[in-house]
Amino acid sequence: MKILLIEDEPDLRKAIKLFLHNEGYTIESADDYVKAFEKINNYNYDCILVDVTLPKGNGLDIVKQLKANNSKAGIIIISAKNSLDDKIEGLDIGADDYLPKPFHLSELNARIKSLIRRRNFDGNKNIVLNEISINPENRSVSVNNEEVILTSKEYDLLLYFISNKNRVLSKANIAEHLVGDHADQIDNHDFIYTHLKNLRKKLIEKGCADYVQTIYGIGYNFKIS
Amino acid sequence: MKLTTKTIIYYLLISLPLLLIAGLFSYYLICSELKDGTDEALFKEKINCEKQIQLFNQPKTIYLSLDSLLSIKPIAFTKNNYFYIDTLIYDKLEGEQLNYRVLKSFYTTKNQSYLITLSKPTLEDDELMEGLYSAFALIIVFLLIAFFVVNWFIAKTLWKPFYTTLQQLNNYDLKDNALTNFKNASTKEFQQLNVALNKMTEKIYLDYAQQKQFTENASHEMQTPLAIIKIALDNLFQSPNLKEEELLILQNIETATNKLSQLNKALLLLTKIENNQFNTSQKINLNTLIASLINDYQLIYEAKNVSLSLLLNQEITIQLNPILAELLIGNLINNAYKHNMVNGTIEIKLENNSFIISNSGNELSFNKNDLFKRFKKDDTSKDSLGLGLAIVKSITDNYNYTISYTDTNSQHIFTLKFN
Repeated sequence: MKILLIEDEPDLRKAIKLFLHNEGYTIESADDYVKAFEKINNYNYDCILVDVTLPKGNGLDIVKQLKANNSKAGIIIISAKNSLDDKIEGLDIGADDYLPKPFHLSELNARIKSLIRRRNFDGNKNIVLNEISINPENRSVSVNNEEVILTSKEYDLLLYFISNKNRVLSKANIAEHLVGDHADQIDNHDFIYTHLKNLRKKLIEKGCADYVQTIYGIGYNFKIS
Repeated sequence: MKLTTKTIIYYLLISLPLLLIAGLFSYYLICSELKDGTDEALFKEKINCEKQIQLFNQPKTIYLSLDSLLSIKPIAFTKNNYFYIDTLIYDKLEGEQLNYRVLKSFYTTKNQSYLITLSKPTLEDDELMEGLYSAFALIIVFLLIAFFVVNWFIAKTLWKPFYTTLQQLNNYDLKDNALTNFKNASTKEFQQLNVALNKMTEKIYLDYAQQKQFTENASHEMQTPLAIIKIALDNLFQSPNLKEEELLILQNIETATNKLSQLNKALLLLTKIENNQFNTSQKINLNTLIASLINDYQLIYEAKNVSLSLLLNQEITIQLNPILAELLIGNLINNAYKHNMVNGTIEIKLENNSFIISNSGNELSFNKNDLFKRFKKDDTSKDSLGLGLAIVKSITDNYNYTISYTDTNSQHIFTLKFN
């Protein structure tokens, strides 16, 4: 799985690169428009992460060029602007997703995984993890081949955990993922506890191991050895 | 007061005393001219009388008229001079005292002196004054009419470019994001005014644009370091050997970073709303919006176990930017949940073109007039940014909706009225 990261901020670029490398991706990066332009015209990638504001050019033009090249790569725009116009324009010209800065790496990770899943129609559609099997297409979950009925938020929570397995996720991080656009208005993340409790109960009832580990003061870790 | 009215008043204030002085002056001038005329006429008659006397063979008295107004009388002593006097004489015909100018002259010829009395009625003072009054009243009326006509004409033509400029200034709104061009005028002063205004508005506009750009850039620049901190924290959390107290410190950093990030976004949002940067709008059905928002907030505040009643008696559709619509209604719903008590209530109504939301909760710890001010928050909600209602107010101000707050029986009621 090959990813191109187009980001001019060196610290951010390094951190994202390290993270994605540890997640098992092959990652290349470009720090300005010209280099990025060269790379997308010479190589093929499965996924491209592109910042809108770049030295020597605009990230949206990279998206346009990719579309002109009939590239099959999934495109995620990462932008500090967080403006609706950019988001609409980005998605209009063919980007698959839009992630406003500052974001959690786990959020980026979940988005990349979801994007790659959507792109690879062939092969096994289901996400399988030990006794848990998830069908992202109809948002259904089964444990030991027995269906578990989850609420929409419980499903989101489980998928987020599985996308970021073996990572400590803070409560704020999980809360932001669950409430999406309203994240900026909430100042209390305790609500995730109720949803997590219900999810755990439903999974354990069907004979699933309790993978969720509580990290004192911080949050949770979906631990699978 | 209008410029023309003021001009007329000033004209009148100046012309009235001038007219008064002119009146007095005319009065004395006319009086003295008339007197001179009368005196001259009397003097001529005196000469005539003297010529007549010279023809007398013997001294005699002659009455030139029925009364003694005109007479020649011989006198016993010798005298040779003349003088004028003013006197009042009763006139039987008119039945009143009349002013007369009398010439008394002593004339001596052939060793006989005569007293010649000659008189002429003069114009009466009050008659003269009356005449003058009406003349001056007429002049004032004509002047007033002339002032009005001249002013109207001046306002129509001479001041026209000024009023055009004034109109343009009135219509000028910095938020329209456009430069106004004050058109050239033929009058030099107005030309200068328009040039100065063009310069000034251009400067203001550029400063404004720069300020707007600055706020956006500052926020943009802040997001990147915040993103780096967030990512660094994410990575730190993964470290397997963290002690409990270290985890707590990290959590503090994360909370503060999130708050900073929220604050940054909220302030940017306020700036954008005030700068009218949410230009696109679409039809928004409030009933649908409320249903979807309630779904989200019920999830977030599940633990409070708030009972909600919806009385959506009216289908309301507004024309607004979808993000702003969501913020407007969402912030009010969030507010009702956030400041509610466990097992509290929320009631949402749609009626009379209004969105009315009321919730149970403790009394405000501050003056309710400050409720919509930035960073105003209850002492108990330390985690709150205190910007939610400020954003609501900013949206209502910019789109001519009205938001009002009342509290009765520990119920907090917000009424958002659409037009």
